[in-house]
Amino acid sequence: MNIIEVENLQKTFHGKEVLRDLSLTVGRGDIYGFLGPNGSGKTTTLRILFGLLPKDGGRVRVMGQDIDRQDGAVRKKINMLPESHGFYSWMRGTEYLQYMGGLYGRHLDKSMRRYLLEQVGLNPEDTRSIRQYSRGMKQRLGIARTLINNPELIFLDEPTNGLDPKGRRDIHGLLKRLNRERSVTIVLSTHILDDVEHLCNRIGILSQGKIQYQGTLKGAENEVAPHYKFHFRKDVESETLKSIPGIHVLSVENGWLHCRLDGARPDQVVAAMVETGIPVSQVIRENDSLEEMYLRRTGGAS
Amino acid sequence: MSKVATVAFKECREDVFAVRGMGLYLTASLVLSAFGLLLVGNTELSLLDNAQAVYMMAGIILALAALIAVVRGSDGFAGERDRETLEALLISPASGEDLALGKLTALMVSWLLLYLLAVPYLWAVGSAGQNLSAALLYLFLAGTILMTIFGALVLSLSARVKSFKSAMSAGLILFLFAAAPVALGPSLRQSFIGRVLDWLNPFAVAMNMLDAVIIDSQTGPGRQLLPLMILAGYVAVAVWILWLSSRRIEL
Repeated sequence: MNIIEVENLQKTFHGKEVLRDLSLTVGRGDIYGFLGPNGSGKTTTLRILFGLLPKDGGRVRVMGQDIDRQDGAVRKKINMLPESHGFYSWMRGTEYLQYMGGLYGRHLDKSMRRYLLEQVGLNPEDTRSIRQYSRGMKQRLGIARTLINNPELIFLDEPTNGLDPKGRRDIHGLLKRLNRERSVTIVLSTHILDDVEHLCNRIGILSQGKIQYQGTLKGAENEVAPHYKFHFRKDVESETLKSIPGIHVLSVENGWLHCRLDGARPDQVVAAMVETGIPVSQVIRENDSLEEMYLRRTGGAS
Repeated sequence: MSKVATVAFKECREDVFAVRGMGLYLTASLVLSAFGLLLVGNTELSLLDNAQAVYMMAGIILALAALIAVVRGSDGFAGERDRETLEALLISPASGEDLALGKLTALMVSWLLLYLLAVPYLWAVGSAGQNLSAALLYLFLAGTILMTIFGALVLSLSARVKSFKSAMSAGLILFLFAAAPVALGPSLRQSFIGRVLDWLNPFAVAMNMLDAVIIDSQTGPGRQLLPLMILAGYVAVAVWILWLSSRRIEL
């Protein structure tokens, strides 16, 4: 069942067409990676889906309700972490959650605030003001904010931007846990492929105002046939290698065969090589196929 | 606590914790101190009747209130937009009207603080004269009304323009436009245009009401009904404009 359905979404800013007939679907329970270069319209799309920006055309349904006819009930079940955190830096983390809870019409008592902070790995006893938080801590506090209304759907705009590798991994773990334990559907806008590879089961690649690819991550990886490198313990003739079924030889150099597999699995190729008497010592998957496909789909933009 | 009260409470706390909040009250107290000193220390001004001194001080207090409404009101939405805190507010289920009403309530608290700050100064310059209690009562009424009018109008601007600077500039123009007729000379104010401007301008209406109460001792109940009704009309229009502007606040 789809939690988000978008058909032919259009948006123009000052005469510039930002979104052109964008269509996408997000299933309940998905971690959907919304990929695209900077300025491709990811944030605009998320804001429209959340109801923060009016659309110029098309049809958007979130949780079964048309975005134009939302009565506020949907807003209570969804939440969003914008790219700019929007914290009041003079507040403490618990005070901020209490304030935002008030805006949701909820009184967050001490135990509830403690629970939310612990959920995201922040210390509830921390008395520092938010201005003293690291970027990773702010990101965690932002995620805690999105949990205030116990949402079924969360939009995250560039949640790992500016984080170091450890911080990124921590956020990945946190989001995976939320998805698994609380069954939260997550729509994640990013241009960081590492996020997508570690988190998402489905992706949409946005470029030039349109979805250029939508499907499973596995499908995306399969779109570009991966390159492999096989290392041999002794020199092997090119002609011998060409007799191995299921490979397309790209080059043979210094004991290394660089090839593309045409329908065969790497283990099948290794078996065929060993049968032919070729001593294979090492196999390396050569390229990041998602990156290649992303670059191809987005015209190499970053 | 309701959403409106949540916003109002946070805004009031920001008055205490943020430098700009306390800065306004500090500036206000410096202005009142300087003006109070002038009234009692300056050879010519010290000759003024006590009621006249209270009236002049009341005018300064109302001007300060309007200025605070302009500064804090401009910051209301446009400042949040500049500091990138607005999006988080709009993401919450609190409506634009809730946010606007919360911010307007906080402005009224700012006025209450300014008023409390001003009472000792008024007492210092007018305790020996007549109508001080009536002056305090009508000043409170006029200030509450003016704060609501200016606060609502500037918050409306703030909800619509993209930056604090733009909101502040537009708010100051509104303030100058509103205060200008008060600066008209006595003969011009007696002319037809002067009278029309006097009744069209909420600031002038409030000052004329204070003039009638403090200087002319027209303190009886019902004697200031007409100016109060005119001011109430302005309040209704300003709040309606704020309601319209805050229905759909954009980033």
